[in-house]
Amino acid sequence: MNTLALTAKVIVAVMLLVAGGAKLADVTGFAAAVRLLVPFRMPGVTGRVIALAVAAAEVALGLASLSAPATGWLNIVVLGVACGFVAVSVWGYAFHRGHSCRCFGALSRRKFDVLGIARALAIAAAAALATAGLPRAMVEINGADRALLLLTAALTSLAAFSAARALGAARSLGLEGP
Amino acid sequence: MRVPEYVAIAQWALLLTLGVLVTLMFRQLGRQLGVLKSSPAAGPTVGAPAAGFEYAQVDTGAREFFEPDGGRAALLVFADPTCPACEELVAVLNQAHADGGLAEVRPLILISEPASYLQISEPFRETPLPVGRLVTDSTRQAYEVSATPLLVAVDGRGVIRAAGPATRPADIAAFVRASVIPQPDGATLPVLPATSVPPGQDMVRATTGEERGHDR
Repeated sequence: MNTLALTAKVIVAVMLLVAGGAKLADVTGFAAAVRLLVPFRMPGVTGRVIALAVAAAEVALGLASLSAPATGWLNIVVLGVACGFVAVSVWGYAFHRGHSCRCFGALSRRKFDVLGIARALAIAAAAALATAGLPRAMVEINGADRALLLLTAALTSLAAFSAARALGAARSLGLEGP
Repeated sequence: MRVPEYVAIAQWALLLTLGVLVTLMFRQLGRQLGVLKSSPAAGPTVGAPAAGFEYAQVDTGAREFFEPDGGRAALLVFADPTCPACEELVAVLNQAHADGGLAEVRPLILISEPASYLQISEPFRETPLPVGRLVTDSTRQAYEVSATPLLVAVDGRGVIRAAGPATRPADIAAFVRASVIPQPDGATLPVLPATSVPPGQDMVRATTGEERGHDR
């Protein structure tokens, strides 16, 4: 059970890193999705600022959650964000069904649909599992391990950014992505 | 030295994710360099009759119907405000319109994204050209729009004369020429993707329909 909770925590953190990195690669596109979800008109620059803040927050939270596993309150924050994903999925499904959510930037063409709500629920469930009190010994890591995780996590987010850029550019050139 | 369980799980998860992302990038790089087989260029078959379709005017929401054989050549521009290459294209189209380069055709920008997205892109927001929002996916399927931007030149008889992506003023001029110059029946004028045309060469070339869709 403890291993399952650890794995769930890691998966959610990695997902945040990838989603944030990919969104940063296409802030304009994600800003359009943000504007779609906000029920009032807002200036283009505000949409971009919100989009940038959301993407940066996802990366920061992913990095922190992964490299500081013993910090219990981070799991609660991640669970809160995951619940936010569920709310956005339900709202998007209710009012903007079929439109792209740009949840993973150009890495995916996922839309607001039933499957999207199911995915968001699964993420929230994993985040909830990670809040289970884990034995201190399992999540206590030393400075070198923390640095190693932080570095690899940053590299993963950078790779997500680059992959999203490459896919976005390829689609713009008429080369169909995967 | 024993690796803590958490570190092992995290490193494996990160390694797998990195592997997937690097594979994605490798595939895209391969496609762009022409090493790997890419999908054919987007667009309908040149020489085929253009399909009529319904769209909604973005400013009024009123439903309109595009008649391909309205006696006047048309230039259909499938583009979306959140696509950088589309923004570039619409800016070029706006300039071409200001210079009178589109006077001989009926230009129509067709978006699939919500009309509110137009506000985030200056070229789309400022365009004097008519913009319509597609109301069904069947139009994109009929014109085989698998990537944007995609231009489709339709002559006055409703026959598709050119199709493909474009970004430069010369490309737009070539599309306009293709749609207004009378073609003998059966002749086709496929358009090479703008990225594969050497500088200084006209992007429209007369050839057979079979050549269309070759890998770059």
